[in-house]
Amino acid sequence: MNTDDDVRVEGPGIRQSMSSLHTWAGLLLGWVLYAMFLTGTVSYFKDELSQWMRPELARLSQVPDRAVVAQRIADELGNIAPGTSQWSIRLPDERNNSANVFWRTAPRNPGQRGFGEASFDPVTGQRVTSRGTLGGEFFYRFHFQFHYMPVVWGRWLAGIAAMFMLVAIVSGVITHKKIFVDFFTFRSGKGQRSWLDAHNALSVFGLPFHFMITYTGLVTLMAMYMPWGEMAAFKSPAERQQLNAELTAFIQPGKPTGQKAPLASVEDMVRQAQERWGRDNVGRITAVHPGDAAARVSVARAESGRVSMSPQYMEFEGATGKLLTVREAVGAAAETRGVLYALHLGRFSDTETRWLYFLVSFMGTAMVGTGLVMWTVKRRQKLPDPDRPYFGFRLVERLNIASIAGLSIAMTSFLWANRLLPHPMEGRADWEINAFFIVWGLALLHALMRPVKAAWVEQLWTASALLLLLPILNALTTQRPLWRSLAEGDWVFAGMDIMCWALALLHAVLAMRTARQAANAPSRRRANRPTPMTVASSEGAR
Amino acid sequence: MISLVHRVRATGPLVSRIVAALVGGYALAALFSVAVLALPLSRPQAVLTGMLASFAIYAGAVIWVFAVRSALKAWAGLLIVAAPLVPLAWSVS
Amino acid sequence: MTHLAAFVLCLAGFAALAFATRRQQRDILGGSLRSAATYGLRVAGVCALLSALGILVAKYGWSLGLVMLSGHTSLAAGFVYCVLIGLVRTHGPPAAHAN
Repeated sequence: MNTDDDVRVEGPGIRQSMSSLHTWAGLLLGWVLYAMFLTGTVSYFKDELSQWMRPELARLSQVPDRAVVAQRIADELGNIAPGTSQWSIRLPDERNNSANVFWRTAPRNPGQRGFGEASFDPVTGQRVTSRGTLGGEFFYRFHFQFHYMPVVWGRWLAGIAAMFMLVAIVSGVITHKKIFVDFFTFRSGKGQRSWLDAHNALSVFGLPFHFMITYTGLVTLMAMYMPWGEMAAFKSPAERQQLNAELTAFIQPGKPTGQKAPLASVEDMVRQAQERWGRDNVGRITAVHPGDAAARVSVARAESGRVSMSPQYMEFEGATGKLLTVREAVGAAAETRGVLYALHLGRFSDTETRWLYFLVSFMGTAMVGTGLVMWTVKRRQKLPDPDRPYFGFRLVERLNIASIAGLSIAMTSFLWANRLLPHPMEGRADWEINAFFIVWGLALLHALMRPVKAAWVEQLWTASALLLLLPILNALTTQRPLWRSLAEGDWVFAGMDIMCWALALLHAVLAMRTARQAANAPSRRRANRPTPMTVASSEGAR
Repeated sequence: MISLVHRVRATGPLVSRIVAALVGGYALAALFSVAVLALPLSRPQAVLTGMLASFAIYAGAVIWVFAVRSALKAWAGLLIVAAPLVPLAWSVS
Repeated sequence: MTHLAAFVLCLAGFAALAFATRRQQRDILGGSLRSAATYGLRVAGVCALLSALGILVAKYGWSLGLVMLSGHTSLAAGFVYCVLIGLVRTHGPPAAHAN
């Protein structure tokens, strides 16, 4: 393990070259991976987060019959969006207290596609208004496409990071194959070894998950990363449609006849689906050309209880309500993809399994974090002059602080902004996100300006304080303080408050431990910014 | 000038490996995902099979590139695997 | 309830497997167990893990059951690992040698 740096040596042992590969594949995009892991981890509770961020929407203690809800909203859509070419309703469930609806509108500019989107109250069937927020959706989207950059770039960056992760996992396993044999025989030591032990333990126990989540992450966007087979195989859009049919429940909209015909009972259609898949197992309803004689309605099966995202749906003739087709199976490769996709998202989970996903994914986040910190811990002892480390070392040190401790602060600030920003407010949802990035940027500045250890300790304490006070802020700014949510058995809000305190405790413990590690980090005079001279000399020293 | 030559000598193989891993690995995976179309599967299934497996090919290629003793061997390995895939990929597109 | 049972079985299984290794025996129990006992622990550990799989699959089917088992085993193994470190710190010999 002492030769991490000489990648260039020709003919080192395979374990050494794999060790170097592991180190560099892990480090280069490590900060991106850490952010992806942490935002991805909290996204397992995306729906709960969204509920917490829209406290105006009443808790749904019992999900009303989906067939009735579907009819209510379909009727209301007839008023709100008459003549739309398509609408789609995601029905409420145990984790969503509102129905999410989107519909196409006439484009404002030719060539553009317009659409409307809103949440509907399942009980009244009316549109609900809540504060402008992206909710848990923000972390979810950030997890694979980041922000402030074109979606396509973000997704490519996420894919490259995932590929680095995959290589880091495989090379890590090759380097440390011994620890799989001696499963329970590592030891906790001091200094460098305790970091190494923590990193090893987190990696080994979570390995099946880490490998699965990385590979399936690539699978979720594989058509974008590896389009070559598709491009070679299909020459026309019609052929390509064959492939899409294997992947989604999207029904190809035919041409409208122009002849008016009201939509048949949506309730009946959902009833048929309920008979087939179970009362609570209907997910999304989509109608194309509703109100036209050529209308089609699809009712898709929900994702709970089956480890697959492959499309399963019933298609109805809109005007008569006649069942046209039932699609419940796709080809073997498509089913494999459906299973891998589902494994990544974990939407099939019951509450316990969702917690398992969350905790093991949290271990993955900690694995990336300990790996990043270890890079500096390992190298600190070997520095030629500990008072003036070379530029690369300082850069990694500072980025670690901002991307690990700073991200905790930024994510919590996002939740603070949700409670503190006035509403109504123009562009409110965007400002919550801007607050996240402003705070993250400040954390980076802070990390660059303060001595390393002080920066760690201060940022960890800040995160801890913000998390500790968030339930109190929630009690002051909403009608749903902890005592009331506990009394009402509202586990989304109560769970959120309790989790904040648990995480506050975690950050406090980390802060205290970091503060105590005085011996390892020698005090140093700070040169705030690396001058060109020191960069050059440190490059030379290498 | 001499020091420049020296530097290229020293870092050349490493840079070559990195290129082999990043670009060569992706090219091999892409080639594989097209060559799979030659399998006796329906088109959509073959396309998906190629996509699903391509990341394993890519990761394997990267590991290979850094595991072998020389940069030359790394490239040679990639080319040897690519050789039978090229005619297959050619035949289907 | 099934989840709790599965988790406890995984904990027991990994604990048994851990004590089937020489190092844990030496460090925590202060000596090696007889090889029959070690063998017994190993078998008991594997059986516990398999029964965790069994009850999950019986209730949720293979696909969900396997996913749940991998979650439970990851957590339980991590838990056992932390407890072992704690035990070694309080009971065991301090010598930390590289493995």
